[in-house]
Amino acid sequence: MDNNWAAENLQTIRTLMERSTLYRRALAPVMLVSGAIGTVAAFVPRYANISTNQRFALYWLAVGVVAIVAGLLLVRRQALKAAEPFWSGPTRRVIQAIFPALLVGLLAGVFNVLNANPWRAGLLAQLWVIVYGCALHAAGFFMPRGIRLFGWLFVLGGCAITFATQSQPELRATEAAHYIMGGFFGLAHLAYGAYLFVSEKQKPSA
Amino acid sequence: MNPEPFLNLDRVIHEKGRLAIMSLLAASPQLAFTEMRETLTMTDGNLTTHLRTLHEAGYTAVTKAIQGGRPLTTYALTPAGRKAFAGYIDLLAQIVEQTKQN
Repeated sequence: MDNNWAAENLQTIRTLMERSTLYRRALAPVMLVSGAIGTVAAFVPRYANISTNQRFALYWLAVGVVAIVAGLLLVRRQALKAAEPFWSGPTRRVIQAIFPALLVGLLAGVFNVLNANPWRAGLLAQLWVIVYGCALHAAGFFMPRGIRLFGWLFVLGGCAITFATQSQPELRATEAAHYIMGGFFGLAHLAYGAYLFVSEKQKPSA
Repeated sequence: MNPEPFLNLDRVIHEKGRLAIMSLLAASPQLAFTEMRETLTMTDGNLTTHLRTLHEAGYTAVTKAIQGGRPLTTYALTPAGRKAFAGYIDLLAQIVEQTKQN
């Protein structure tokens, strides 16, 4: 008998236990739907009066709620289809991981809606991009795919815009802020969703 | 080499398929049949057979429910199952230690 079999068994056990805790729902539909919502939402202000900082905060909070609800419905649908529990251990872990960062974003948004002197819309957009990146990065520890890298894209992108506003103050304006939101929460999600759609199709059980 | 750890290995757990099932269940409060089947790429029949063996040994508990109008069967380790799995891991660790020493 191979003397290493016990060590190999222990390694197998470790791998399986880690795999058991990973979130396995297909992310491509969630990314594509939230990306589509974000992209459409970025163009709506061209035709509606969402030009004040308060309206910006309220509008994008509402868009966020719609995107989150749509994502949860898609995840629930997948769980039902696969005869698996919706509120599974991995789902719970992912929600717990993203919750603190999303709470910061929510509170910042609510503060700006309620405050008579809200922040410039661009500043709120930068904060949202960065905290959302932090949420994705935290969730990435319970997901098998490149969510952590996607999170880094948001964190670094948000920081880059923050630095860019020093030389280009117009990025703080409401109109630019809508496009920042559309770029990150719309187009970036669409691109990542398309990538996942192709790769998940090739390897459906990952 | 001291053969005692080998002799004490739990025969119910010491089978590739059942060890894999126990490992998955040890890391989660509960898992659905389909989740285990997909993670382990086992057939329905194979997985059912192993789960029955583990259930008969008192190592797993089964919960049947309805979710969205569909049946949902989930499995979890019983306290006896957790204890047996922990004991199995301890014995494996002992064997690894012995192997290192020799």
